[in-house]
Amino acid sequence: MRHVVDARGSFCPGPITELIKTYRKAQVGDEIELLATDPAAKSDVAAWAAKSGNEIVEMKEEQGYIRMIIRVSSKSK
Amino acid sequence: MNMTRIAIVGGGTGGTILANALSRKLGEEIREGLVEVVVFERSDSHVYQPGNIDIAFRGADPAGFRRPPSNLLRRGVKLVQKAVSSIDLDNRALKYNEGEKMDYDYLVAATGSVATPELVPGLAEASLNFHKTQEDSRKIWEALSRFKRGRIVILTALPHKCPPSPVEAVFLVDELMRKRGVRRDVEIVYASPYTRAYPAHGIADVVEPEMENRDITLRSLFNIDYVDPSARKVFSLEGEELQYDLLIAIPPHRGADVVINSGIGGEEGWIPTDRHTLNIKGYDDAYAIGDATDIPISKSGVVAHLEAITAAESIASQIEGTGRVYLYNGRINCPLEMGGKRAVFVSGTYTKQPERQPPSLTKYFMKRLFNRLYWTMLRGSLEPIFNAYLGSPYEVKHRG
Ligand SMILES: Cc1cc2nc3c(=O)[nH]c(=O)nc-3n(C[C@H](O)[C@H](O)[C@H](O)COP(=O)(O)OP(=O)(O)OC[C@H]3O[C@@H](n4cnc5c(N)ncnc54)[C@H](O)[C@@H]3O)c2cc1C
Repeated sequence: MRHVVDARGSFCPGPITELIKTYRKAQVGDEIELLATDPAAKSDVAAWAAKSGNEIVEMKEEQGYIRMIIRVSSKSK
Repeated sequence: MNMTRIAIVGGGTGGTILANALSRKLGEEIREGLVEVVVFERSDSHVYQPGNIDIAFRGADPAGFRRPPSNLLRRGVKLVQKAVSSIDLDNRALKYNEGEKMDYDYLVAATGSVATPELVPGLAEASLNFHKTQEDSRKIWEALSRFKRGRIVILTALPHKCPPSPVEAVFLVDELMRKRGVRRDVEIVYASPYTRAYPAHGIADVVEPEMENRDITLRSLFNIDYVDPSARKVFSLEGEELQYDLLIAIPPHRGADVVINSGIGGEEGWIPTDRHTLNIKGYDDAYAIGDATDIPISKSGVVAHLEAITAAESIASQIEGTGRVYLYNGRINCPLEMGGKRAVFVSGTYTKQPERQPPSLTKYFMKRLFNRLYWTMLRGSLEPIFNAYLGSPYEVKHRG
């Protein structure tokens, strides 16, 4: 399943909040497509994925925003 | 001629400001019986929620931070002090008081958000919080007043209202433990769900060195998964654990029951809302404002306020047929208190991120002053000052 999370326009609390909200209900194997305008989104999501053991499948600069696809691969339940 | 009814569900910060703004804009129509503004509020006291910080960390008296909703609404606004049990957007009707029905022409959902520790296994039992009630906040003060040695963990779960509040708690706990002369025996740990202490970079750059100076430990990227109260341990989604002696948590929030039960906002109850028009998606006669929406910006009183002003303009314009549409620009401006009588303001819009700024005494006094001005602000008499200070919260476009 693909969850699309549009966090564009959010700097506070920012994309991590939207990502975690969706991650909590996602299943292993799902993909989360996160859109963000916060310039810190790339490094924040990369740091979170590395620590939590989830995989970033794609990270792409679109016109005026960043698109990231995260595969949920490390959830215990 | 038919009467036009505007039903506002929720008389908290956003609902009260909106109702009062409409009563000013449509005063004449209300007096002539052409328009009716009805607020549904289930609680008999309106709580100034930032006061929870003073209750929890300064031992303030809760009574100073609540008033009856009926005292806060301008003449011309009708208050129904009952809970709304369901909203039917397609048929423009709602049910309240266990079964009574009311039709409306325009609806505004201003039902807020609810701190729900029960969403995390073990959290309700293990932790204290200051995001639910004044009584809960008071329990923190009692626990902190007794605490002599050990580890206090302050932990943030997402999503929650008022992004600055966890960091404020951290600084005020530090200040209190110093005042009580026990700081040397107390370890203070802040578990942040972000890569840093505060989501906005510019603000984290100010907060983090201050935490280091005060010997506060930061554990970043710690998103709570569950708590084992018997072992006094919190476990994170990222696979880490943290021992505590006293756990103060900002619990995850969800939307109001009525939103969930009416099938509007999914399981978590966040109302799908257009971030500019503030219409509930798919309905041009229904709006959502404040904490209740799914808009990814800060759940704060200032956002509820500015969205209320924007929605009031749009509804008045729809009723008067001016063809103008008001588009919220995402303005936020939240105070963050850092202890030692210093504060910063987290300000930005949908397109402008909050900037770094030095903490100052002036900003601290602005925050304290606001505590007292809140009740006057709800009535709308300070609107020109807010407008001059913050700038307009919307852009105006013409329909079609
Ligand atoms: C500790 C703390 C500190 C804070 N500090 C700040 C700050 O410094 N600055 C800032 O801007 N914000 C701050 N906030 C956040 C701010 O208080 C909220 O974001 C704001 O109150 C949201 O307004 P609202 O109108 O959306 O919801 P609320 O003010 O919560 O109002 C919602 C209302 O809806 C009512 N309701 C719900 N369901 C029903 C129903 N079915 N029928 C009838 N009535 C219903 C509730 O009883 C409630 O009165 C703080 C919050 C906390 C907890």
